[in-house]
Amino acid sequence: MIIKYIIPVLLGVFAAPILGGLISGVDRRLTAWLQSRYGPPILQPFYDVAKLFGKKRNPVNTWQVFCAWLYCTAAMVSVIMFMLQADLLLIFFVQATGATFLVIGALSAVSPYSQIGGHRELIQILTYEPMLVLVFVGMYLVTGSFEVGTIAAYDNPLLIKLPLLFVVLGYALTIKLRKSPFDFSTSHHGHQELVKGLTTEYSGPHLALVEIGHWYEVVLVLLVVSLFWATNIFGAVILVAITYFAEIFVDNITARMTWRWMLGRVWFVGLAMSLANLVWLYAS
Amino acid sequence: MLGTLLFLLIILPFLAALGCYLFRMAFLRSLLVVGSGVVLTVCSLALIGLEPFEFKPPALLWLNADIVVSVLDFALLFLILYIGFRLKNNLIKFLAALQIVVMAYLELFMMEHGASHAAIRCDTLSLVMVLIISIIGSLICIYGLPYMRKHEQHLNLPRSRQPRFFAFMLVLLGAMNGLVLSNDLLYFYFFFEITTLCSFLLVRHDLTDIAKRNAERILWMNSVGGACFALAMMWMYPTTKTLELSAILQMAQGSNLMLWPLALLILAAFTKAAQTPFQSWLTGAMVAPTPVSALLHSSTMVKAGVYLAVRLAPAYHGTFLSTAVALFGAFVFMTTAALAMGQSNAKKVLAYSTISNLGLIFACAGLNTSAAITAAILLIIFHAISKALMFMCVGTIEQKIHSRDIEDMRGIFGKMPLVAMFAFIGALSMLLPPFGVLLSKWMAIEAAANNIFVIAMVAVGSAFTVVFWTRWAGVMSNFPSGRPEPDHQPFLTIAPLGLMTIGAIGVSIFAPWIYSHFVSAAVPAGADAYKISAGVFTTLSGAFWVYPLVVLMAAATFLALRAARKSRNDPHASPYLSGLTAVGPKTFIGPMDKPVNIQASNYYMLNVFGEEKLTMWVNMGALILLAILLGGAL
Repeated sequence: MIIKYIIPVLLGVFAAPILGGLISGVDRRLTAWLQSRYGPPILQPFYDVAKLFGKKRNPVNTWQVFCAWLYCTAAMVSVIMFMLQADLLLIFFVQATGATFLVIGALSAVSPYSQIGGHRELIQILTYEPMLVLVFVGMYLVTGSFEVGTIAAYDNPLLIKLPLLFVVLGYALTIKLRKSPFDFSTSHHGHQELVKGLTTEYSGPHLALVEIGHWYEVVLVLLVVSLFWATNIFGAVILVAITYFAEIFVDNITARMTWRWMLGRVWFVGLAMSLANLVWLYAS
Repeated sequence: MLGTLLFLLIILPFLAALGCYLFRMAFLRSLLVVGSGVVLTVCSLALIGLEPFEFKPPALLWLNADIVVSVLDFALLFLILYIGFRLKNNLIKFLAALQIVVMAYLELFMMEHGASHAAIRCDTLSLVMVLIISIIGSLICIYGLPYMRKHEQHLNLPRSRQPRFFAFMLVLLGAMNGLVLSNDLLYFYFFFEITTLCSFLLVRHDLTDIAKRNAERILWMNSVGGACFALAMMWMYPTTKTLELSAILQMAQGSNLMLWPLALLILAAFTKAAQTPFQSWLTGAMVAPTPVSALLHSSTMVKAGVYLAVRLAPAYHGTFLSTAVALFGAFVFMTTAALAMGQSNAKKVLAYSTISNLGLIFACAGLNTSAAITAAILLIIFHAISKALMFMCVGTIEQKIHSRDIEDMRGIFGKMPLVAMFAFIGALSMLLPPFGVLLSKWMAIEAAANNIFVIAMVAVGSAFTVVFWTRWAGVMSNFPSGRPEPDHQPFLTIAPLGLMTIGAIGVSIFAPWIYSHFVSAAVPAGADAYKISAGVFTTLSGAFWVYPLVVLMAAATFLALRAARKSRNDPHASPYLSGLTAVGPKTFIGPMDKPVNIQASNYYMLNVFGEEKLTMWVNMGALILLAILLGGAL
């Protein structure tokens, strides 16, 4: 009971955001290093969130408070479900619930920046959702199951049979993490045409919730990446590290493109690669 | 007992309709509509546990019921022919004449009459449909009472048209109950044609030019379906020597001779369910008063199409036809969801979303595993409730703000908080866990995972779905801070809305119970499709947590609501406007010190998802797939 349920739940609730925050800190340091800067301390994301929690509540409306809470809790629940080895599709649906509420919160605010950010985020969701579903279908075709436990227990690393789908997951990951060239809905720099887009109107403790929710999401997508080399813990860690570094690298060498480019490019390339990889699996 | 129940479910609505038509008092009409609603609901519930049964209709006024149906059927076809002449529409004339000739040949020269048979048959699938039609349909009719009163207030008619309106609404309910309980294809066809005629008359109701034009389209497009149905019966009779559905289902398995008639029946189902390229009749039907749309989209008419496909599923199991239906359904699911992306007209978004969901139901019927059929039936149930709720909300909102444009619903939460809340829940019930629609979508995806093209289209389509529903929910909540003003709606408006909202949440929570008590019995080998323990649907390949998710999401919602309540008295920030001076919640001081209103609108991406851009390609793709479907059946 304890090993099967309580420890995974506690890991999901407490360890995931700590890990997510640390990853975010490392991310900032690596980005700074690539840009020949020194960068903030690795614990900076935690200081930021702590400071945000200390601020007075000053939301634009009560809807947004509701949405920030649901975003954070849904992201947390999705990580817990992963730890409990639930169905990947279901985990993803719960995660999408959080993403949906984040957008609804942005759309509930009057500010045009927030509105545009919300809509752009919707296009991002539109772009990566089918890709993720197809990645899960690929995993199902190899292992015969959508459940995390069965997939992780498969004898060989999935990467060998699903190389193209791994690339597709990379696209989805970049969009999900809102990294360049797919950082349409919000960005780290508030001095651009859309200000902070999606998160413009989230403030104080509610912005902190959004930040923590994002950490949960980062951990969730990296856990999905780790499934591609689940036979060995070192293999999984190395694969996740390489993938994440590639994300940061791409983030730093590319510029933001338009949504038309993203939707067209990712769907065309992504669907073609997914279908090719799936056809191999059917053939074998 | 059985006879009485069936009489009340099928014939009573016709009698009540007659009453509505003849007695023109508003009070009596309300009494008849509410009364038959209550009777239908009670009778449909009383039917639970009695199925499966067969029933031989007794002679009506010393006349054999079969003969009565046949005579009425010809009367109906001649009526449609007459309408064709009145409208001077050659297509309607031709299709009606074709049906008359085919049916006359079939009944007079081919069929052996007189054999005693059970024309009525009720199994669990029929029962589920009767419950949907009787309960949801009745609530919509009741909702129609205050709606139509308000509707006619602006029109200044010399003579109220409400009597005929409610008469046709009630006839539609009776005909649908008859349709799903028919075992004899002739009865089925008769009720099938009544639903066509009723929709024609209801959409025409306001007699505006556009209403007349769109009603005409309903008649000809559904006559195509009717003609396919009649031809299918003529085609299969020499092989089957009977038109009893239960017998045909057994005979058809593995018989290649039956594929063509089955394909024609499927085509009839596609037209009835407004699948591409016949989608324009359903999107055009939105010119009718909203209760009509609610009824056509949720519990009647289009559901007759998907019911037919699910009913016939065992007959085409394992054939190419089945695969073709799955591909076609997935194609419709994806493309019409894309069309919904480009719409700001709320009723049109709902219409495309309906067509899209029906496409997914067809896709499941075509996949034809017991898991997929389970998904199809569950989707029929969940979609009916959520869609009825959404239409009724849009109707209520439209009567208040005099617009059905989603852009005009910006901040509707501030004007009519209760209705906006219902609509918000309705929209979310179409896409979020733990609501039932998502459960059936999960089932559909896992069932489709072995068909690469179906799964790809389903994956893309469901992403579109998320976008247009989220966008709409966001717009409704777009509201500068402050308390919303309370809004007063008549009891007969709020009660159906409230009941439907509770229903949408309730059926989602009780989905495991509904599955194990109803749906599993309605599917061949259905009990093996999913194992249920502690409210979790389990298959060999995955699991959907209903109860655990309900608990988790309820806790999350509770926390979020508590935080939102606490935050109500916080100082609220004014919207961020790049530091420009704001005056009032939606205005800033612009150039020349003039106040400028803030404007933002949704992305509709018209140059990709616009109706004008997409429709032609969608129809072309659909025609190609239909050709493959029919050709493959040869």
